[in-house]
Amino acid sequence: MKKKLLSILLAGTMVLSMAACGNSNDAPSSAANAGTTSKESSSQAASSDEGQASTSELTDGKFAETRHITVEVYDRGNDGGSDPTNNMYTEYIKKGMLEEHNVEVEFVKVPRWTEVEEINNLLAAGTAPDICVTYSYPTIKTYADMGGVLDLSSYVEDYKNDLPNLWSWLGETNMYWDKDPVDGTLWAIEGKLATTNRINTFVRQDWLDKLNMKAPTTKAEFEAMLVAFKDNADLLLGADADKMVPYSVSYDVGWRAATLIESFIDPDITDKEYYVNGFDDRKLTQNGTKEAVRLLNKWYNAGLMWDNFALYGSGDTTEDDNMKAGYVGAFTHNWDYPFRNGTDSINANLQRNVGADAKFVAIDPFEDSKGTHTKYVSSTAGDRKIFFPTTNDEPLACLLYLDWISQPEHIEYLQIGDEGVTHNKLESGAIQTVAATGDAIQNSGMNIDYTITCNGLNLSTKELTDLSKAYSYAEIDPELVQQANKIAQTDIVPAKNVNVGSIDAETGVGDTLSAKRDQVYDNAVIAKEADFDKVWDELIADYLSAGGQAIIDERTAKWDQYFPGTDMLP
Amino acid sequence: MKNKKQVVPQRKVSFGVYMKRYWQLYALLALPLLYLLVFKYVPMVYIQIAFKKYSIVESVWKMPLAANHGFEYFIKAFKSKDFLLALRNTVTLNLLDLVVGFPAPIIFALILNELCFKRFKKVIQTIAYMPHFLSWVIIYSLALQLFAPHEGLVNMVIEGLGGESIPFLNDAAHWIATYIGVGVWQNFGWGSIVYLAAIAGINPELYEAASVDGAGRFRKMWHITLPGIKPTIVVLLIMNLGNILGSGFDRPFAFQNNLVMKVADVISTYVYRTGIKGLQFSLTTAVGLFQSVVGVFFLLMANWLSRRLGERGIW
Repeated sequence: MKKKLLSILLAGTMVLSMAACGNSNDAPSSAANAGTTSKESSSQAASSDEGQASTSELTDGKFAETRHITVEVYDRGNDGGSDPTNNMYTEYIKKGMLEEHNVEVEFVKVPRWTEVEEINNLLAAGTAPDICVTYSYPTIKTYADMGGVLDLSSYVEDYKNDLPNLWSWLGETNMYWDKDPVDGTLWAIEGKLATTNRINTFVRQDWLDKLNMKAPTTKAEFEAMLVAFKDNADLLLGADADKMVPYSVSYDVGWRAATLIESFIDPDITDKEYYVNGFDDRKLTQNGTKEAVRLLNKWYNAGLMWDNFALYGSGDTTEDDNMKAGYVGAFTHNWDYPFRNGTDSINANLQRNVGADAKFVAIDPFEDSKGTHTKYVSSTAGDRKIFFPTTNDEPLACLLYLDWISQPEHIEYLQIGDEGVTHNKLESGAIQTVAATGDAIQNSGMNIDYTITCNGLNLSTKELTDLSKAYSYAEIDPELVQQANKIAQTDIVPAKNVNVGSIDAETGVGDTLSAKRDQVYDNAVIAKEADFDKVWDELIADYLSAGGQAIIDERTAKWDQYFPGTDMLP
Repeated sequence: MKNKKQVVPQRKVSFGVYMKRYWQLYALLALPLLYLLVFKYVPMVYIQIAFKKYSIVESVWKMPLAANHGFEYFIKAFKSKDFLLALRNTVTLNLLDLVVGFPAPIIFALILNELCFKRFKKVIQTIAYMPHFLSWVIIYSLALQLFAPHEGLVNMVIEGLGGESIPFLNDAAHWIATYIGVGVWQNFGWGSIVYLAAIAGINPELYEAASVDGAGRFRKMWHITLPGIKPTIVVLLIMNLGNILGSGFDRPFAFQNNLVMKVADVISTYVYRTGIKGLQFSLTTAVGLFQSVVGVFFLLMANWLSRRLGERGIW
């Protein structure tokens, strides 16, 4: 009896599981079908309207029936922030889109610091938002190769007349940055970087003053300054002297010492060399990086850096807390890092914790072989990329959304909000951001999470923008911002678009290689000085054999194929 | 005769009658079965990803077969240095865990059993259980506060006493010791519950008889308690051996840092990094499948061995 029953149960189990498989089998394919049919129908619609000013789907820019789209928005989880999917700004967008285009917008929040993993899961489950944003093109390319991304090339062309703002804001450069030179596919369009400022080095001005030192302008002076900080720890920190960190980096050394690393690159580097070694955005395989890390290694062994930097991972606040508590003498980070986050900014915290004169100011201490301070910055593209997954069956509505948020007035409102609530107008005409409360709190600086086609302040005129930028950091002295802005724009080299189509070796290895990259940097920095060469060479060899060399080889071959006989871009 | 007559009709009871009588028991079973079905068996359909070229949009049945008769990704995995490293680390860490971590709860249970002051025993037991309920993320934060070079409490004490800071978390060999040690600390109390239960089941007359024969504490422990819990030990050993290639994700993931990845990257974190973050789903499914197959193999081996040695095994 028992056996019989067991077998019945097992049989039942099998039947059920087959049924379940059948279901899971059907679901994705039907979704994929829906994707293709809508693609067909919309391209039919587009072709039948050839030559007309607009497509038949729209009357006065409006759909006859209300459409529904979902849009990705980063959830930064700030302390006391507003709900990223429901606040003053989302209401503004929702209302505008419904009124102007009859499109209902729903925001889907994705955690900022694990966005790639999160989007992976959503895409695999077929529930990704219709409009997705990410910083990583290789990720998009990988999805595209699996058939998970819509090819935008025909849409942006066919609907050009419906998208005047998008086209005029992004221009050919950003719209076609990722267009494949061979088959013409376009998997993503590039949001525009309104500010190409990247990184700065900061130092405690009050410490310099106390020690009667001038801001360093060379590596040697910078090193001498770190040593002076360390030697005078008792004077500068009193009882907390043992907590002193003259120069602070995180596990992400490649970013957090970037100005130093870049100063070791030959300023006359050819486009070809820069491109071939350029897969890693932390310059790991560029010539010169090893020497930069050797210097860091020397500093580390001399006790000039934070001992435990490698033990704390991404998103950990320990290092920021050290800065806020006033233990850190100098660090390198995003060009405006100590000014961000209003009352919770590093500088605001410093003033509360240490004293009114305590502050970080930007300096430009790392000279290159020519004596200039070369900084490799982005072009207006190369920042955030916007793509539509194949589950998106409203490509036109989504493009209209992008068009809507690219309209200058909309950008301006989303960035500065209401007068008296999030900003004040100064006599000079400058817009000064003030710390907002409740629904009006911007979770990201200047609401960049909503203005996905625009990263950085962009007001009606450039003069107003520049003036206001300095006032856009609540609780921060505008002069500090202006100084940081000026240094961040000194001797810049904007990135060029080497468009040679996709590099197969880059597919799917991005995360593995960046994890390895961090291991190379971290282990090399903490190595004993005598072991430095051994450690570096060993780890680099490992990085190269794990896919780094294949990328360099393929990039070289592709360069030679598209730009034969020259080392510079036309 | 009477007895037999009662048994025979029972055997002939039809399925319907049987179910009518016992349906409550099966109803109780239904929910766990459903859980197993939905969360353990249905996902197995996707094992085939290991043999196919993964596509994010196509159904798993329609994905094209991978090269080399579908074994492309297995070959790729075994050619990958990172995977081999992860494999080595998984085996090393699990073996160490087994060698150090397996006897710990047994010894603890034996010691507890010898305590005659009941309330003290209960207090100790409760304290020892507690770490089991902490998540690994919290345990790592504690470890960081205690063991970080220069800034951790332990190292501050060592340095304060004139010693050198010990790199508990940032040097490969020390890291392994810390990892294993913390693992034992987290688990020995909880692990001892089963043994204490088994010890409680031993007939007290045996101890009394042994006392009469003049056996001391250690004799009794060796000749009565240990043989008494031997079947339990064997079953748990088998289950642990089945897990020799498996590993939890959160413990190694929480403890890893860039300085010790050489010894700290295990299969589960490798799969997470390469598969989920690096989008190489086929490769990592292949790795996962390999891991499970080896796990099952070990389990069967251990079970067979224990039966050969005269124990009961787990089935």
